[in-house]
Amino acid sequence: MATSRNHGRSAMTRLKSVLVIAFIGAYLSALSFGTVAHALKVGLCGNTLSFYVVWDMFCGWTAWDARTHLIAEGASGQYYDVRAPWGEFHPFGHLARIHHDNTNDLLPRHIQNVLRHTAHEPIDRVYTIEEVWPKQYNLPPGLYDEHFGRPNDKLSYYHLRAVFRDDGTPMSIYPDWHAKQKLQAVYDNPRLRRQSANATSLFSTLYNPSQARAGSTLNTSMSAGLSTN
Amino acid sequence: MNPPPAENSPRTALGRFFFARETPYGMALLRIVLPLAAGVPMTMRFPFVRELFTTDGSPVQLFEMFRQGSVLPVLTPAVAVPLYGIMLLCMLTSIVGFRTRTSLWVTTVLYLYFNALDGVGTLTKYSVIASHMLLLLSLSHAGSVWSVDAFLKKRSGDVNVLPPRFPVWPARLVQLLFAFIYFGASITKIQTAEFFSGEQMRYWMLSDWNYENPVGEIVAMSSPLLLISAYLSVIWEVLFAFLVWRPRGRIVMLGAGAMFHFMTWLTLGLYVFPAICLSGYLAFVSEQDILRLRRISVLRPIRAAIRLPALAVSRVADIFPQTVPAGVVWICLLAAAAIGATEAELQMDIYQSRSEAGLLKLMPIDRDIALTMLRDKTPVREHDKFFNFEIGTSTIGYQLSNRRTDYSVGDTMIAQCNLNPPHEDMWVECLLQDDEERTIEQFGQFVPRESLRANFFYTVDSKLVAGRYSMVLKSANQEIYRRHFSLSGNSTPQIFDVSTN
Repeated sequence: MATSRNHGRSAMTRLKSVLVIAFIGAYLSALSFGTVAHALKVGLCGNTLSFYVVWDMFCGWTAWDARTHLIAEGASGQYYDVRAPWGEFHPFGHLARIHHDNTNDLLPRHIQNVLRHTAHEPIDRVYTIEEVWPKQYNLPPGLYDEHFGRPNDKLSYYHLRAVFRDDGTPMSIYPDWHAKQKLQAVYDNPRLRRQSANATSLFSTLYNPSQARAGSTLNTSMSAGLSTN
Repeated sequence: MNPPPAENSPRTALGRFFFARETPYGMALLRIVLPLAAGVPMTMRFPFVRELFTTDGSPVQLFEMFRQGSVLPVLTPAVAVPLYGIMLLCMLTSIVGFRTRTSLWVTTVLYLYFNALDGVGTLTKYSVIASHMLLLLSLSHAGSVWSVDAFLKKRSGDVNVLPPRFPVWPARLVQLLFAFIYFGASITKIQTAEFFSGEQMRYWMLSDWNYENPVGEIVAMSSPLLLISAYLSVIWEVLFAFLVWRPRGRIVMLGAGAMFHFMTWLTLGLYVFPAICLSGYLAFVSEQDILRLRRISVLRPIRAAIRLPALAVSRVADIFPQTVPAGVVWICLLAAAAIGATEAELQMDIYQSRSEAGLLKLMPIDRDIALTMLRDKTPVREHDKFFNFEIGTSTIGYQLSNRRTDYSVGDTMIAQCNLNPPHEDMWVECLLQDDEERTIEQFGQFVPRESLRANFFYTVDSKLVAGRYSMVLKSANQEIYRRHFSLSGNSTPQIFDVSTN
């Protein structure tokens, strides 16, 4: 009886050891995957779990500080600030959550949530405005005077980023301010401007080779094959 | 999770690395500090639970940001709020070590869930690092010392003269996690050319995205400091994995790491990130370290002070008779936390939906202000395309390293302008003018859109007489910056060379 109990305990501890070693192996493999994938830029796109094993802190930068403003236009023509009147949450400092929405996933939900929980007249549309300014104007006055020797004449530039319905459905979306500046810089080239005027940026036909091979005579417009983005 | 007897004394170095047995003091310290560091920002989010994490708010899952849809279930406030309260309580019970392993598991699962549910305003790399460590703490015996559990065990008569010892692999995995983090971070930096020319850190330090960072604003304007610290941090990050397990290397690497994280607080205004990373360093504390500390007589008063919390815990535990199972107390606490959180959240009534005044009103804004923002077509001012313009005599990593206003014949002056990208292809001019603003020399160069700076080199020969001059930066025929300087010495007329690179 005692012998069989000892065997049972021994098997149990052996199983635990195997599980521990398997866990260590799996954990270190996941961390290794993150490092290799990050170095070679492979396997990251569309892989949510990669966020947990890739260490790309402070990977990007910009010379311009930016804020997001949401302006609702009421049926009467009155404009409203679509800001949570119950107080904005500042996640990592003094900036509201909406300003951290780099991927613009929060915008429609934020609009919907604020409008749903506030009293207001019927809203026709909500404009998303990007405000940008060069970061050197963030310096305190003393430091700015010491290094720049000119008045701090900070000017914000406003750029229409998107227009939404009151339920958060996007009506029109435009390139962000940085993309627009880059496009303008490229478009300043007369040769490129001439070539683009004679070219087609997006072309698609109703002919669908796959369906044609299958014997279908029904031609449909393709929507996802070609993209300029 | 004790290993089999054969593993009590592992034969190989790798076996000893992972399965040597130690009292888990380091993991116990991590258990005490990490939930505190990770719990403070989560507690600050409590008034906004409804908005950030429930169907009555605007959560954005990490999966959605990776275009993988809504993988996680979004719960109603009636479920999410009590769960949030339970998570906060379990962080607290993890700190005091009450039902430690269960508390840590509950904390880990709920912390992962709530963070992933708000990919915009809650999940960040510090919460990822904290999630890793919470998972590893859940698998460890972090509650076997310095905990209520240990006290209860002792009170129940299970008196062991020596503290319990367990395989060190959970602590090793935390240590390896940091080696991977720093190595991965060094790869990120190596892949960013502007990190080594100073622009990236300069602009981060000038950002108003985190908390105040007055020291960062000063450092941002010092190119030598930026470049030296850039190289030092990458060298440290790469070396960390190779030296941190060596006796002398450990002190140097962890000391440098502590300094690095301290500087991220000073220069970038980060609070939680350094707190979580430094709490992770506690996993490097070994049994030997604690024994060494205990022998230092100077630390006796501190040791006495450290015993105070243990004394307080024992007093509280004594309130409950030994017959009351700890599990029952823990479940009662959980229930109280769930009910308390629900009631507190209802009382806060974030949307004021139960207020007699009705829903809060949307704030109207002035029509002129709104139209200014909506119709703004102002082209970027010429001087906003430039960051700065300085004159000096030496560079470090392509950046001007000194600013000078006094020159002598024979000096090579470097006039450097830094640009704010994105900018178009530009023609930039540099003018040398006397004190009456008469142009003596003028030279220009193309600055293509990918360039972040342009240098003008002037070799000061005896063409100029002693006196006051200025270097003027012009773009699109507009004066952008003017830098004054004095020329001393020989006034014999000679040649003045101008060149650009």
